[in-house]
Amino acid sequence: MPSGIAVTGVSRSFGSVPALLDATVTVPAGSVTALIGPNGSGKTTLLLMLATLLTPDTGSIRINGHDPVTEPERVRAVMGWMPDTLGSWPSLSARVALQTTGRMYRMTGEQAAVRADALIALTDLGDFADRPSRVLSRGQKQRLSLARALVHSPGVLLLDEPASGLDPAARASLRQLLRRLAGEGAAILVSSHVLAELDEMADAAVYLADGRTASPEQVAAAGASARAWRIRSLDESALERALATPGVVGALVQVLGVDQLGTLVQVENEASAAALLHNLVLSGVPVCDFGPAVGNLEHTFLDLTRDRPARHSSVVVNPEVTP
Amino acid sequence: MSDRNRLFLTGLWLIVTLELRQRVRGVSWYVLLGVFMLLVGIVTFLLWLATSAWLSGGGGVFSTIIFFVLLLATLVSPALSGNAINGDRDIGTLATTQVTLISTGQLVLGKFLAAWITALAFLAAALPFLIFAVVLGEVSLGTITVSMLVLAAELGVIAAVGVGLSGILNRPLFSIVLTYLMVAALSLGTLIAFALLGTATQQEATSVNYQVVQSTYDQQTGKQSDIVCSTAQTSTYTVPRFDYFWWILAANPYVVVADAAPGSFDAGGRPTDLFGQIAVGVRSAQAAPELYTEYNGCDEAANGYADQQSGIGPTPQETYDGAVPSWFIGLFIHVLLGAGALAWAWRRTRTPATHLPAGSRIA
Repeated sequence: MPSGIAVTGVSRSFGSVPALLDATVTVPAGSVTALIGPNGSGKTTLLLMLATLLTPDTGSIRINGHDPVTEPERVRAVMGWMPDTLGSWPSLSARVALQTTGRMYRMTGEQAAVRADALIALTDLGDFADRPSRVLSRGQKQRLSLARALVHSPGVLLLDEPASGLDPAARASLRQLLRRLAGEGAAILVSSHVLAELDEMADAAVYLADGRTASPEQVAAAGASARAWRIRSLDESALERALATPGVVGALVQVLGVDQLGTLVQVENEASAAALLHNLVLSGVPVCDFGPAVGNLEHTFLDLTRDRPARHSSVVVNPEVTP
Repeated sequence: MSDRNRLFLTGLWLIVTLELRQRVRGVSWYVLLGVFMLLVGIVTFLLWLATSAWLSGGGGVFSTIIFFVLLLATLVSPALSGNAINGDRDIGTLATTQVTLISTGQLVLGKFLAAWITALAFLAAALPFLIFAVVLGEVSLGTITVSMLVLAAELGVIAAVGVGLSGILNRPLFSIVLTYLMVAALSLGTLIAFALLGTATQQEATSVNYQVVQSTYDQQTGKQSDIVCSTAQTSTYTVPRFDYFWWILAANPYVVVADAAPGSFDAGGRPTDLFGQIAVGVRSAQAAPELYTEYNGCDEAANGYADQQSGIGPTPQETYDGAVPSWFIGLFIHVLLGAGALAWAWRRTRTPATHLPAGSRIA
């Protein structure tokens, strides 16, 4: 019975360096969950443990009810993993590589050939399928890597940065593909840095920072915190005047500044954003664009990582939204 | 065959064919084999001239080609097998194989078999020349089978060490170099150790001589009388004790191949091929040198020169037959080394991994 991914209190360290301290993740069958965190937060370590390659020090992992440590073979039969490093046998063509992978899942040669052809069509690799994979571009290798993860039609899919290197069209079709697979009952865990994209395809998000997954309460608080909205007007000076007029900008709104894309304002919540828009329109400002400056996931992510200690200063924080 | 075994073998063979397709890359590989065949051809021709093989038979040619195959394979094999596992990790294809239903055992064994098959290709390429040597005559069936089987086993050992080290060490360059060093230690290191240790443990030997100073020689009987004998003349000198260290040579792959072949000797007890010459050399090192020799010329003068056997010494064949064969010990050590390297590699490559060495990554 497919039950998806269940991770409880998992930790793992390499020597004296802790990579993951306490991760709890649930991905029900038939859904897509985003795994979000800054570089070095333990995303890849967590995915390696789910992919039966690494044992956790503590905690428990179940993939469709099976423990990857004690029953790796059962987990492997139902789990597809797309790593962040794009490995492919350099001298084999994409088609032969997919057939070989199929054989590794104990398909017959015929089954593997049929499956490889289907996956080449699915990932739109047709034009390159018979060239040695070392001549493929990064995006093509990315698609091959995705196809390989899907060879045995896994019920649990682990994708480590699947969208990096893909062009916008390929990203869109990746999004559609993942939604379709989830619709067919797969449990999908996707890690990515392209947060706006995850926004559109993920049912839920898990935030990982400092080796810990954020609790639902933290996530709720971060999601509800004040955030930046961007306003664009056909008449920028009218907008400027209106924002300077007392009464238009409510007590919960603060003007952050103007950039080339428009004016940024800090808005406490959606109700105060609605009130602001109402006032601007009443003042006769021709507003043509009014919306959150960053997506939901990014906002939550940045809020959760904002107050972290200085050693994580490498986290890229969008300067526009830093107060 | 049970289902389980069949599944194991199917997966194993999949890895072998995948490895061969990956590593034995088309044109360049065949160029390498072609150059090898050309070299063996030249060597065969020169040996044919040098040993007057049309008269004395192909023993010398055959044994030298076998050694040549061993030499070339030891030079090429580490480069082809020494990055089998960590090289895959570097290009990111190891972990993607490990998450499939291929087991670590299938992976390591499959890579080993592929490396072995690659090395055996050199033996196959030398086959026409070996057949030529056999056609020249005087090569026994025993020599042909034993030397080729032992050579094949030695090639397997090198392949196993290479694949093993590639699983034990993280960096491909380092494991390739270490494989070369292992091969060099066995092929050259054993010779150097043997020579150095033997000469470093010199021992003093004494010889005592009695000589006739004066005698009367009877022309009729041909006997001497009134013999005046000298006092004992003692001389000392040092001898190396190679007999303490002959076993070091047993670990040399060339010695293993040579010693394993059934000895082939001519009527005068001299070896007819390179195997025999090396085997005689190694086995003669087993005998301890005489630390005390006494020569009494006066006794001889008085009793007549009865048997002059002391002067000639044993023939090479007698030395060969009188000593202990050592090849199976050497081969056993080699097989143990290869199997140990593979077993260690298996342990290090097993997933899910509990322990990761510093600075390594899985995928």
